[in-house]
Amino acid sequence: MIKIVILVFVGGAVGAMLREFFMLIVPTPSRGFPLDILAANVVAAFLLGLIAGLHSRKVASDEVYALIGIGMTGGLSTFSSFAYGSSELMIRSATGAVVASAYVVISLVMGYIALIAGRKIYSIRQ
Amino acid sequence: MKPLDVMWVGLGGGLGSVLRWWVGRVVGERHHGDFPLGTFLINVSGTFLIGYLSVLFGVDWHDRYGHGMVLNAFVLTGVLGGYTTFSTMQLDAVKLSDKRRGGIATSYLLLSVAAGLLTGQIGAALARAQG
Repeated sequence: MIKIVILVFVGGAVGAMLREFFMLIVPTPSRGFPLDILAANVVAAFLLGLIAGLHSRKVASDEVYALIGIGMTGGLSTFSSFAYGSSELMIRSATGAVVASAYVVISLVMGYIALIAGRKIYSIRQ
Repeated sequence: MKPLDVMWVGLGGGLGSVLRWWVGRVVGERHHGDFPLGTFLINVSGTFLIGYLSVLFGVDWHDRYGHGMVLNAFVLTGVLGGYTTFSTMQLDAVKLSDKRRGGIATSYLLLSVAAGLLTGQIGAALARAQG
């Protein structure tokens, strides 16, 4: 129990710091499209797909899954910034509403595809 | 952004992630339906809090980088970012699709987003109403 708490804590800390680096490095395009959060969320979905696939085939242990699957990818991805950022864009202007709607749809579709892609990579290599 | 702010983000992200794991466990022990209620409640409550606290701290959401503001780095980017999750939401949806519950997967994603859009603004409005 205490082992899982430590693994999730360390993984979550590393993931959140990685997200902070995404926010510093990824440029924000015009019209306020949150490209940094999109990138963090899609990369996290891919990594979670990968580690969940490895864990279900018993290649990754429960400990590795707690560290990366629960901690790191959860810390790297964020729903609160995604949803609140979208709503703030939406209420600002008509253009903002269009940009925010595109952001929501692109995030959901790309995140879903990235997760499935991450999960498939291992089985392709077999 | 100073190195110290990154440390605060990491500390908050670690705490938020442990809280997410714990809430998910507690909800999972009580709820046994197909709908991923744990992640849903985590994401919606986290979005309510980020709306409320952003207004309370006077942070424009574009400007989360903080300029050395510890509360912003620790609570908003760290704790709430670590607490809420986008990747697990997608994994929940993919797992539902695996079990041929595509309808529940789609409504789960759409409901999460709709509830998130709404509760973030409700949190912000509440903080404004309190002045």
